[in-house]
Amino acid sequence: MLRLLPLGALIALGLGSLLFDLTLSSRLPEDADYAEAAGALRARARPGDAVQVWPPWAERARNFVTTAKVLAEEDLASADYAGVARLWLLALPRVPYGKLGSARAALERRGARPMGPVEKFGALSLEEWDLHAPPLVAWLAPAADEAHEVDYVARRCAHLPIGSTVRFRGAGAVLHLRAGVIGELAYDRSRPPISVQVSAGGVALGTLEVPPTVPPAPGWRALDLTLDPSGETTREFAFLVSSADGSLPVCISAWTTAR
Amino acid sequence: MIASARKTHGGHPSLHLSLHRDRPSTLTLGLGFATAAVLALTQGSVGFVRDEGYYFTAAQRYQEWLVLLLHAPLRALQSTERYWSYNFEHPGLTKLLFAVSHLLFSTWLRVLPDALAWRLPTFVFGGLLTHWLATLGLARSRTTAVLAPLLFWCAERTFFHGHLACFDIPICAMTAGVGVAWARALGVLEPGSLGQLTKSAALAPASRPSLRAGLGLAFIYGCALAVKHNAWFLPPVLLVHGLFLPAPLRRRALRALPFLALSPLVLFAFWPLLWHDPIRHLGDWIAFHLHHVHYAWYYLGAELRAPPFPHQYPLVLVALTLPLPTVVLLFAAGARLVVQFARRRLDPLRLLELALAGGAILPFLIGDTPIFGGIKHWLAFLALLAPEAASLLERTARSAAATKLVSWPRALALASAAALLPGLWQIVHLHPYGTSAYGELAGDLPGAASLGMQRQYWSNNVTAVLPWLNANAPRGARIFFHEVNPESVRAYQLSGMLRSDLRQASGPGDADYAALQWHREFRDREPETWNAFHTRRPATGLYLDETPQVLVYARPGLPGAP
Repeated sequence: MLRLLPLGALIALGLGSLLFDLTLSSRLPEDADYAEAAGALRARARPGDAVQVWPPWAERARNFVTTAKVLAEEDLASADYAGVARLWLLALPRVPYGKLGSARAALERRGARPMGPVEKFGALSLEEWDLHAPPLVAWLAPAADEAHEVDYVARRCAHLPIGSTVRFRGAGAVLHLRAGVIGELAYDRSRPPISVQVSAGGVALGTLEVPPTVPPAPGWRALDLTLDPSGETTREFAFLVSSADGSLPVCISAWTTAR
Repeated sequence: MIASARKTHGGHPSLHLSLHRDRPSTLTLGLGFATAAVLALTQGSVGFVRDEGYYFTAAQRYQEWLVLLLHAPLRALQSTERYWSYNFEHPGLTKLLFAVSHLLFSTWLRVLPDALAWRLPTFVFGGLLTHWLATLGLARSRTTAVLAPLLFWCAERTFFHGHLACFDIPICAMTAGVGVAWARALGVLEPGSLGQLTKSAALAPASRPSLRAGLGLAFIYGCALAVKHNAWFLPPVLLVHGLFLPAPLRRRALRALPFLALSPLVLFAFWPLLWHDPIRHLGDWIAFHLHHVHYAWYYLGAELRAPPFPHQYPLVLVALTLPLPTVVLLFAAGARLVVQFARRRLDPLRLLELALAGGAILPFLIGDTPIFGGIKHWLAFLALLAPEAASLLERTARSAAATKLVSWPRALALASAAALLPGLWQIVHLHPYGTSAYGELAGDLPGAASLGMQRQYWSNNVTAVLPWLNANAPRGARIFFHEVNPESVRAYQLSGMLRSDLRQASGPGDADYAALQWHREFRDREPETWNAFHTRRPATGLYLDETPQVLVYARPGLPGAP
């Protein structure tokens, strides 16, 4: 019987492989699944909600979801989600190496909590999460819905020339500043760092340094500054972008929150 | 030293003999023709990869030179540099064949479309690869001869590469061809016979290789040199192989090696660029590859941009891209060869296969060699392990049949089906999107996307959205084709796959439509398109098993825009 073992193992391997291949489509959503999920979002999503797809490559959702912004953040624990009160996690729970559990754990690490049961739409799942994020007071930059890629994620940010100073007015208790280099230049270690100096009313508040990205360090750098607890004072913020390399395409994002 | 010398029944030291005389070359040639035919019949849907764009252009220039050669030979000889300096970084043979094929079948006879005519020589190389793999397999059995090429080709990655007017399958074939020619020069593989060693080699082991075998080796290696620079590594591999052989064969190997000194004549003959100022052109060729640029490559969640690359990279890539049974058989074959080599029980032919397979992948294990291009640069590693893997497959079936619980034909059918069907499914399911293919170990395409593997390369997947663009784009619309180079766009228009009135845009900013290929390193292009088009909703796209491959955006208001 031992002599049958290699053939048996080979048949098991071949059959298992074929079975995996042939059943893969059952783990993937069809158009109808997306349409149903999009319908549910149309009925329940409110202004300011966002949809996070998981795995982050599952961006076909953009073809169907029109009522909320579709995000493809990769690190859900540290993603900005600026101004997002509720997050809808639209996932493909049964794709290989999908690790939906790690996505949920990352959301919990940032203080988010699920708000209801997981809904299933064929091979899709939809979960509502409360981010428990501080309310947005003002978007400072970019003023319009401008997006750029930094560290492989599309981010709402303004592409600013090196050497420029931009000014924005807004109130808020905490200022959130983000900056990074667009595209592959971010990873060129021969490039000099970038500084973003922030001031309000002529008073320096802080500086955000953006060095060349050396993974696993993030390329999307963060600076959070507490302004005043009440957050009622409206200030004029100035952001000065400087670097020894004037060709670096830097992108910044800034907003204030109530706490 | 390899202990292939054994005591025969007569007590004389001899070499492992298996002399079943017949004319099985019909089998290997038949398999070769079948391979070429299948490749030709399935090429129509295969997009033009970036490199093909350059090689098509090169072939057009070389064709002009051929026509000049026919009408004004002296002028042609004087102006080789003008026509041949394009794509100086690769030798001339394959591109010359592309040009000859196009001149003959497309320009003169008008029986083949341009792309098919350019690609035809690759199908011949594919056929030759099958023929030579079957020849190596035949040294074991007819069953192995059939299974070896099947194991190689039954995977979308290898099958896809068999269609391209590029150098990867040709150099893979020539590596196997050099192996066969070397084995014949050493007398360990007789043409058209079942047997690892010929009687003449055993009885007269110290004899020199015949002049015919030596010249054959020189010619085949010269052709390999004239195909791609991977051939530079073959003489050291053959030398090492020779040094590990038993003394009589070692002497014969050392006498066969000098024939390789004739090979540059073949390189020279098939590369007219070298006919003037050869030292400078050879220097340019070598320098280009010694200082080859590194392209960003997505691997297990990290973007690899420059050395040092992970040493295990090529083996991991093989494991993740090929069908799982093929992976297991190839790795088992490699392990078996290595173990038997360590135990000094490897016969000269199998030692040669191990050496050639190792030589094909070794440069990519050291961590400094450019690694872009998936598994295409070390296809010979897979090919040279295929005969041993096929042999293992046959042994598995024979072992089961020996129990009498299952008949030999049934055992062979079951084993072959188990080994080949997943690969066949991969081809049926994914062809012609070969650069996107991943195997079961990676979790197929969705698993590979989650693992953070290169989604695709070479831009050929754009063929999926060309019909949509043809149907929707207004006359004269400007299309941003992203990674598709202008040469390939022109080839699509020439072949009728893309409307000739459509124009190329330099970026989303001056485009009406954008066809973006999903690449980790080019992720900035999609938000750039959103900003330019004021929409984040694609108009259409190619999604393979849900993974985005090519996304088409249309400016709002234009036909097809969502």
